[in-house]
Amino acid sequence: MQRQTYSRTAVLLHWLMAVSIFFLFLSSWWMLGLPLPSSEYRFREFPFQLHKNLGITLVFVLLLLLYVRFKHRPAPPSSEHMKPWMHRLAVLDHIIIYVTIFACCLSGYLSSSYSGWGTRLWWLVDLPDWGRKDEELNMFYSDIHLWTCWILLAIVAVHISGALYHAFRNDGIVRRMLHL
Amino acid sequence: METTTLNNSDGPAWASWLGVVAVLLGVLLACWHANEWMKLSIVGDPPFSVADMPEPACDEDEMEEEGLTLAECRQLALSVHDISISAPDWFRGFHMMVSFAGFVIALISILVGIALVDYRRWAPSAAFLTFGALAVVDIASFMGVVNTGPLIRQMYLWSTLLWFFIHIVMTVAAFTGREMERDGMPATGNGHG
Repeated sequence: MQRQTYSRTAVLLHWLMAVSIFFLFLSSWWMLGLPLPSSEYRFREFPFQLHKNLGITLVFVLLLLLYVRFKHRPAPPSSEHMKPWMHRLAVLDHIIIYVTIFACCLSGYLSSSYSGWGTRLWWLVDLPDWGRKDEELNMFYSDIHLWTCWILLAIVAVHISGALYHAFRNDGIVRRMLHL
Repeated sequence: METTTLNNSDGPAWASWLGVVAVLLGVLLACWHANEWMKLSIVGDPPFSVADMPEPACDEDEMEEEGLTLAECRQLALSVHDISISAPDWFRGFHMMVSFAGFVIALISILVGIALVDYRRWAPSAAFLTFGALAVVDIASFMGVVNTGPLIRQMYLWSTLLWFFIHIVMTVAAFTGREMERDGMPATGNGHG
């Protein structure tokens, strides 16, 4: 018999990603209010490096979560607890979330790569720059980064609304991802 | 394909909704406190005062990229002093300590929220203590901020008050749910029948 809940690793990775994503939003809004960088104004150094490190790491965590989810797939919820159209909507919501997380992180890295500001992964490894400093490409990927992040925020709001709906019904659906 | 039948009688409804709300708010609060900690460690003690601050770098390309006007670019350089010029000496250390405590307890509240949804026997009591501890952190933060200058008060007082009332609601909800469970009252009923 298939298990009813997601594996403990999947639960841990899901909530680790949730905290990371909201932290990336909140910290990015704050750090863009810091002075533009120069030799005297170096306030942006740490938060920008942290932002890039978390974003890059998030891609690997997402890939790991997908692997764990597909390897230990729980049984789908019964139609008694989740109407078929709701289940289809939930699947679509998940796909859009995964795609936008990936697009958001990748466009952020590419934008940074063309900005001329290097990335040192967790202050240990200098990541290669994939291109020369190119302001147009930097702006292009920066716009993609911005819009995919807004889409992600909107779709996460839908995701949370669905979780609250099932929590208020107490139909056991949220327990699949809230299991110790 | 085999489907699962989840048993919705494992936990009462109040624990289900309070648990999910606790997890959601716990995630947001952990991020808030972590960002506060980072903010204070970076701009809480700027390397120069307003009087001897260097001319900010307002490169046209950079300003265009971020959609800034020259006035905004200059204001960004000034704004890093908002905390330091309005805070007494003790505030930075105090607020970083409060933020750290808030971050740790917010992470614990996520676990407690999961335990409420998964309905563990200890969860209602743990929820009452954890949400109460978060309210205490809010009170400490509020009292600290009240004793600073107007720049910091306008930054923090309202959001701290908002979090305090949210945590009061959650603490009372956990307490009420726990009492109903102890008294054997039907926590899922509407009280009319």
